[in-house]
Amino acid sequence: MNFKKKRANTKEEIPTTAMPDIVFMLLMFFMTVTTMRDIDVLVSFKLPEAKALEKIESKRLVSYIWVGKDKRMQINDSFVKMEEIEGIMYDKKQALPEIIVSLRSDQNVDMGFITDIQQALRKAYCLRINYSAMIKV
Amino acid sequence: MLKKKQIPEATIPTASQADLAFLLLLFFLVTTTIDIDTGLGLTLPEYIPEEEQIEVKIDPSRMAAVLVNENGDVLIDGNVIPVFQIKDMLKARIASKNDLPKNKKMIVSLKTDRKTVYHVYISALDQIKLAYFEVRDEYSNLKFGKKFADLDEEKKSIVKEVVPIIISLAEPESIKNS
Repeated sequence: MNFKKKRANTKEEIPTTAMPDIVFMLLMFFMTVTTMRDIDVLVSFKLPEAKALEKIESKRLVSYIWVGKDKRMQINDSFVKMEEIEGIMYDKKQALPEIIVSLRSDQNVDMGFITDIQQALRKAYCLRINYSAMIKV
Repeated sequence: MLKKKQIPEATIPTASQADLAFLLLLFFLVTTTIDIDTGLGLTLPEYIPEEEQIEVKIDPSRMAAVLVNENGDVLIDGNVIPVFQIKDMLKARIASKNDLPKNKKMIVSLKTDRKTVYHVYISALDQIKLAYFEVRDEYSNLKFGKKFADLDEEKKSIVKEVVPIIISLAEPESIKNS
């Protein structure tokens, strides 16, 4: 009796020569989309939630103001005081006229504080703002 | 006797190339943060010093004043309602202005107390924007049979013309010390 299994005579290997190419393509994709985080966020905050969210089209135009739970504010890499915002933002507006200011504020800050920031932004002519929020599910 | 020495096979082993590429790939996969910034966009009014401010009379029928107090209660034109009902209140009023000329469109004015909590303000603003978005969607469904987001730029601008988003932030009252 012959117990030998019947097999096809063809080669049974998966060609792997193209695998590095595919992996490199994936690699290229991730390399191009990666943006290294360039600013350390020093304040702690929890964003509010909203439904009618819009995406910011161009990240290049965005400038952030962080407001923490303890009402400390951060612009760029350092803490700022309320009086300094106008000057800083005015300079930014001069450098980049289409600037969008993204306000990343903690959800429990009172509005008086936010209004003060907004007044400073209005004086600095940074009129396009965006209230950063998480999507509500 | 001159016999050429046989050259040994000179190939670079490429079997591990895939592994190397995978390592690099993993590194970039791990470090990538695809964070798309999302938020509620708004354009602030220009700053005008108090003594130069002029009062403009606006027809009360095109104005909806949304007031949010420190407890999170919402007042629209004298009625106290919960935050999540703002949308339904405004939608009908915004939609009724669709056929009117540009200078008769709805203005929603949002005013908060200095002690109102930020997330209440955001959800009120969210409701107002949702109301506008839904009116836009309904209009474009009626006119073009598509949602607003699926329209091309030209048609979008037509809808934007018919349903412009006008949200006005009320001038804050002179700052009181709390």
